[in-house]
Formats: sequence, C-alpha cells, structure tokens
Amino acid sequence: MADALKMETKELSVSFGDVQAIKKISLRILPNKVTAVIGPSGCGKSTFIKSLNRMNELVPNARITGEVLLDGENIYNRSYDVTILRMKVGMIFQKPNPFPKSIYDNVAYGPRIHGIHDKNRLDKIVVENLKKAVLWNEVSDRLGASAMDLSGGQQQRLCIARALAVEPEVILMDEPCSALDPLATAKIESLIRALIEDYTVVIVTHNMQQAARVSDFTAFLYLGELIEYGNTRSVFENPQNKLTENYITGKFG
Amino acid sequence: MSRLIDIGLERLSNILYKMGDLAKETVSLSFDCYTKKVEDHAKVQLGSQNLVFLSETIEDQAVELIARYQPVASDLRTIKSYMKIAYDYSRCGRYAWDITFTHKRLNIDLADCKLPELPLDEMSEKVLEMVDKSVEAVRKHDIDLAQTLSKMEQEIDDMYIKSLDKLTEPLPISAKCVVANLLFVRHLERIADHASYIGEAVIYIVTGERVILR
Repeated sequence: MADALKMETKELSVSFGDVQAIKKISLRILPNKVTAVIGPSGCGKSTFIKSLNRMNELVPNARITGEVLLDGENIYNRSYDVTILRMKVGMIFQKPNPFPKSIYDNVAYGPRIHGIHDKNRLDKIVVENLKKAVLWNEVSDRLGASAMDLSGGQQQRLCIARALAVEPEVILMDEPCSALDPLATAKIESLIRALIEDYTVVIVTHNMQQAARVSDFTAFLYLGELIEYGNTRSVFENPQNKLTENYITGKFG
Repeated sequence: MSRLIDIGLERLSNILYKMGDLAKETVSLSFDCYTKKVEDHAKVQLGSQNLVFLSETIEDQAVELIARYQPVASDLRTIKSYMKIAYDYSRCGRYAWDITFTHKRLNIDLADCKLPELPLDEMSEKVLEMVDKSVEAVRKHDIDLAQTLSKMEQEIDDMYIKSLDKLTEPLPISAKCVVANLLFVRHLERIADHASYIGEAVIYIVTGERVILR
C-alpha cells in the first residue's frame, strides 16, 4: 500500500458521554477505491464514517480524539474550514433524503449555496451530475417535477447527484441501499464502481455480500475497535481474525 | 442455533467421505486386478462410475449452497475445495478403471511381464497409502497428514521416472508387457498426483493458503 492516501484516521476515538463508540481506530483510505466498513449493529461503523466529515460534532456530548487526515491535513484542526470539508467530503445517508423541491433544484442546491447562479452553468451542472448518477435518462423530461415523486432508488441516485454537484473528492455512504429493492440496489452498486474513476468512496454496510461486491478494501469493526482491515478478497476468502471469520460467516452478529 | 448453510455443508461432507472410501476401495481393487489377477473388473468399473456420479452430485449441491447462501471465508473455501476433491476422487476412480481396462484389453499374464527393476509393488503400496492418507486428511481436516503427501509424491515421481527409463531400454519382455507396465506406472503416478492435490485442498480449507505439494 505505497499509494498516497486520500484519508487516514490515526488513533481516532469517539465518545458520547461515558460511552466510547470508537476506540483508537487507525485506518488508511486509498484514493479512487471503495473502502467498506462492516460490523454488527452498534459496532461504531456509522459513528466512524460520520467522523470522516465531522458530523459527530453536531452531537452535544461527543468527544473526539485522534486525527482524521484528508490529503494529509487534520480535518479536526481548529483552522480547518468545515464548509470546505463538507464540500470535499460528501455524504449519502441510509434513507434517501431529497429536498421537497424539484429534481433540478435538488441538484442545483449545493452549487447555488456556493455562489453559482448563472442559469447556463447551473443547467450544465445539473445535467452532468444527473448523468454521473445514472439518473438522467429517467428524469431528463421532467426536471421540474418534485423529487418526492421519484421512486426510492431514484431518490437515492438523486441524492448522489446532489452530492456530486458540489464536486466532492470523497463520498461517504452510510447504508445507501438498505431501503432499496434489489434492482435499485444493483443500480447504486454499479454506480459506486463507476464513481471511483473520479472519487474515493467509503461505504458502511450491513450487507456483507454488498461489501464483497463493491469494495476494494474492507474494514471490520467490533465493539468500536478495528478488528481487521485488508483487501476485500482476502478478508472474505481468508480472514486473519477469528472474529471476522465468525461475523462474515454468520456465526454471530 | 446452527446456521442453515451448516446443514448443506454436512450433507456435502458426508458424500465426500463416502467418495473417499469408495475411491480407496476402487483403487485398491484395481491394483489387485492387475498384480494379483483378481477378476473384479466390473466392480472397479462400477466404483469409477459411482465416483463420477457422486462428484456431479457434490458439484450440484455445492452450486446450490453458493446460490442460496453466498458463502464466504472458511465456508467458501470448504465448498470450493470439496468440489475439487470430489473431482480428484473421481479421477482416481477413472485411473483405477483404466488400469483394469488395460489389463483386460491386453490380456496379459503379469508373470510374463515381470521385471525385477520395476518397483511396481512398492509403487502401488505407496500410492494406496497416499490415497488412504488423503482420505483421512479430508475427514479430519488434518494439515499435518496432508503435508506428508508431498514427500510421498516425490518418491512416486522418482520411481515413475526410473520405470520410464527402464522401460525404454531393450528388454526381455514383449511389447504388450512394456505397454502394460508403462500404462500401469503412468496411472499410479497420476493417482498419486490427485492424492497430493487433495492434500493441497485440505491445507487451503484450513489455512486459506495455496500450497503446492508436488
């Protein structure tokens, strides 16, 4: 793993009050790869992914120690601009959460916030990112329609298009397919593989087969600790830790 | 609570153990047919055919387990290896059948074909021992036992090469005898290879490492 890292956590710990959710996790995230984070409920995987763009800070009693580096710079430095961070590191949530606006306005929302108001430029951004999110062919004739009228799978791809519109470098996905049917899931998974040409993806998933299908690297978390990390084929074919073996074969969890 | 896949894995194991016993018996019988004039060609043929049938059964059931449970880690390694081992057993059966076929087809009396320099008895005993060990290694998932096949396979190879050299010299036996002996040592060498493949598969199941025992 001599490649330059896109992100890296160093001894990252996160506590909420007395509860330590993440315990000194050091993990390397390679650029233009999909890193999957797996583990049983309550293992800290959502907390972990949220710490990659400082979303845990929004929780009142959260305490975060250690470092999270993005291109070598600690995003928890006081001087680090959170607005820039959120632009560079986008997030897709478990449940599609489009704004109650038109399809067009959902994608144009971020660029407008960042000061782009020129209609031609916005049009271009909207089309480009709907295409990237493989949604364009399904909505090109109804960009003014409400995003809420789309199917769950389409809404999730719209959220991806919305995230891409602010030109992020890293896309975090927290259980992006858990509310979707198999067909919509397959589309999102294909999209994830296509996205790594331009982006780095970190995905949290409960679905081990999904992690095996889409990721290049897999991290297994248990009780807030990083138990195993390696290339996905090795982790799923020959895990080095008995806990990983037992979890991915369904012997517990 | 046991997992659903465990029921399928146990079923596969049982068929594989049955195949191991049958492979051992079929190979042993074919040697007796060849070296001790035991007239059991039909039984060897039946054993070989049953091994093919069971190998296909394992393959079908393994594919079903993959489709149903998307196995990973040791489950995946076990299923993959069981398919491979089943094929190896079926090949052992096929070579056993070939041994008896050759013997019957050439219609020779082995007494006329004896060459003191050919280590036929030693080779067949060692090959039988290898098959026996491979079957035990599968049953017990015993990697130490599997490892012992490496040295034995090398010894069989040496004897095979020596036999080849001998059989290409001018000899006081008929061409039929040369062909019969040549094919016999060739089949022994192939069975030994498959026994060592089985050892490799056992090591892969247990450790996840791909080793070569040949």
